[in-house]
Amino acid sequence: MTAQQVISSVSGDDRVRTQATKAGSFRPTLGSIGAIFVVGLWLFPVYWIGLTSLKPIKEINSAVPTFIFTPTGANYWELFTKFDFARVLMNSLVITIVSCFVVIVLAVLAAYSLARMKVPGEKHIALWILSLRFLPPIAVAIPFYIQWQDLHLLDTYLGLILIYVAFNLPFAIWMMRGFLADVPVALEEAALLDGLTRLQIIRRIVVPVVMPGIASTAIFTFVFTWNEYLMALMLTAFKSVTVPVTIAKFVEPYTVLWGQLSAAVVIQVVPMLIVVFLLQRHIVRGMTLGAVK
Amino acid sequence: MTLRLQNVQKAYPSGFMAVKGVDLDVEDGEFFTLLGPSGCGKTTTLRMIAGLETPSAGRIFIGGQDFTDTHPRNRDVAMVFQSYALYPHMTVRGNLSLNLEVKRIEPAEIEGRIQNVARMLDISALLSKKPGELSGGQRQRVALGRALIRRPNIFLMDEPLSNLDLKLRERTRTELKKLHETLKVTTIYVTHDQAEALVLSNRIGIMNAGDLVQIGRPQEIYDRPCNIFVAQFVGTPSINLLNVTAENSGGSLMIRLKGEEAPLGSITLPASDEVFGRLGMVGSDVILGVRPEAIAVLAEEEAGAAPAEIELVEPMGSVNNIVLRLRSGPEATADGEPVIAVVTSNESRERGEKAWVRLRPERLVIFDKATGNTVAVLSDRRWEPI
Repeated sequence: MTAQQVISSVSGDDRVRTQATKAGSFRPTLGSIGAIFVVGLWLFPVYWIGLTSLKPIKEINSAVPTFIFTPTGANYWELFTKFDFARVLMNSLVITIVSCFVVIVLAVLAAYSLARMKVPGEKHIALWILSLRFLPPIAVAIPFYIQWQDLHLLDTYLGLILIYVAFNLPFAIWMMRGFLADVPVALEEAALLDGLTRLQIIRRIVVPVVMPGIASTAIFTFVFTWNEYLMALMLTAFKSVTVPVTIAKFVEPYTVLWGQLSAAVVIQVVPMLIVVFLLQRHIVRGMTLGAVK
Repeated sequence: MTLRLQNVQKAYPSGFMAVKGVDLDVEDGEFFTLLGPSGCGKTTTLRMIAGLETPSAGRIFIGGQDFTDTHPRNRDVAMVFQSYALYPHMTVRGNLSLNLEVKRIEPAEIEGRIQNVARMLDISALLSKKPGELSGGQRQRVALGRALIRRPNIFLMDEPLSNLDLKLRERTRTELKKLHETLKVTTIYVTHDQAEALVLSNRIGIMNAGDLVQIGRPQEIYDRPCNIFVAQFVGTPSINLLNVTAENSGGSLMIRLKGEEAPLGSITLPASDEVFGRLGMVGSDVILGVRPEAIAVLAEEEAGAAPAEIELVEPMGSVNNIVLRLRSGPEATADGEPVIAVVTSNESRERGEKAWVRLRPERLVIFDKATGNTVAVLSDRRWEPI
């Protein structure tokens, strides 16, 4: 699942539901039939992976695709017993959650300064920050490998967290800057006259008001980090190996462990769904409603 | 607390002078209004008092103490914003109490003050609602409450009524006046609505293009404007500006409409030597400012009255606005506008009727044609300098 899909399903959700209830009854049109077809096309592989994860090896390898079989938990069982997947999952969770948290805190503060304060050459800084994102990760993967080796950061949580913070921060700052620019300045002035310090204003006024923006940015950052493959492959070996890297390892030279691979993919999707579910409550439109006028 | 502005200026980096040196003394408990058109610098002045803008020059004293360089947080001034600027994520209660919480006031005391202010503003039922659930009028009250609850040194209000509809605006205006009479907190009020300024203020300061043009009590501003700008800005319908000649005729000022031989008889009244002295400097071609209620519209010719034709009658209920075109031609008025008279509505008039305009000897002002400054005002049937 790409980040775009996550976001569009999150923000589109409520609208679709209200429209459907307004219409009263569902009437099939050419458009809606087309939509169902496209959705089916997209969802089928997801369904197939879920199905495969529950299949015994014989069914997986059957020449004719099977849809009806006796489901088994063997693939999941093996994943955790033979491949130590619990540790891998924990690695991914710790690295993703910590880097996400750091990215959001830094992005809010940096974006706030860019949006509100007189920073010398701020226009250039903003573009420069974004330009970091233009860089293909592969271009810096090897230099990072060498440096991380010298710094003894290879195969550590810290090593990956630093990379993910550095890679996601530009985008997060850019995104937060847009949300923060929409916060009415009068709100902060009112808080200033109410006796709040700058940090209190950020914590008690600005952050709650831009919570939808923070939630969206957090979802993006989480998804990018959770799914990141290249840097994790380069910079980890055993101790801090992540889920995407482990999944790739099920493709072996002479065989593909489809059952375990599918089970791992299913498990990988779960945390993303949880994060999106938890954060989407904050993505309510009109958060500043009633603030001004 | 008293407020004193000493040559306060605000220049922007672009070179634009938003405020060109304002001197102002506001007494303790006074309701002072800064009135002017948009862009005149009134809001900037208010924001400098609040500390949201830094003056480029000048000093600001609150209660005799220099607050020019004090952080807005420490000035203890409360401001009601034009947009209200309520905290959207907090309840009304939270909006009201934030300042007190920050000051670490006892919760019991805070609760008492919330109840008190809520009762005063009739928002007790709204305390647990969020701003998004309130109507415009309710939001306005909460914004007011947030300022009231603080018992600040000074209240600053930036067009707080401009987002309300007319009925509500007038009602709130009355309540604001009552509130000020009970609390007697020094208030600086910014508005472009002259009616608001006249109703609410102890004194008004008229601003134009960054200058504080005139300071005075509402009646003073209305009766004795210091120049054409003030005269035109205050009062609806707007003051009539007639092109006239004013000459000394045996110690009295004889005023003729431009292009007319006969003097406007009713207002040929004695003038002081100073007025004649000034007229000697500016010349006899001057502008006569006439408030619409100082015009009597006669149905029959009378000596000293100017002939005119009724162009339009605008019934306003208790009064009628009568739009007249003077017979002496379009040059009769300085701004080319027709003359407007306000008469009681029992005088029935029709469009196209002939009429004669007689000026009552009250609320008349003579302006210098070149500078627009006031040369003389009519006071107690005598032309006096302002």
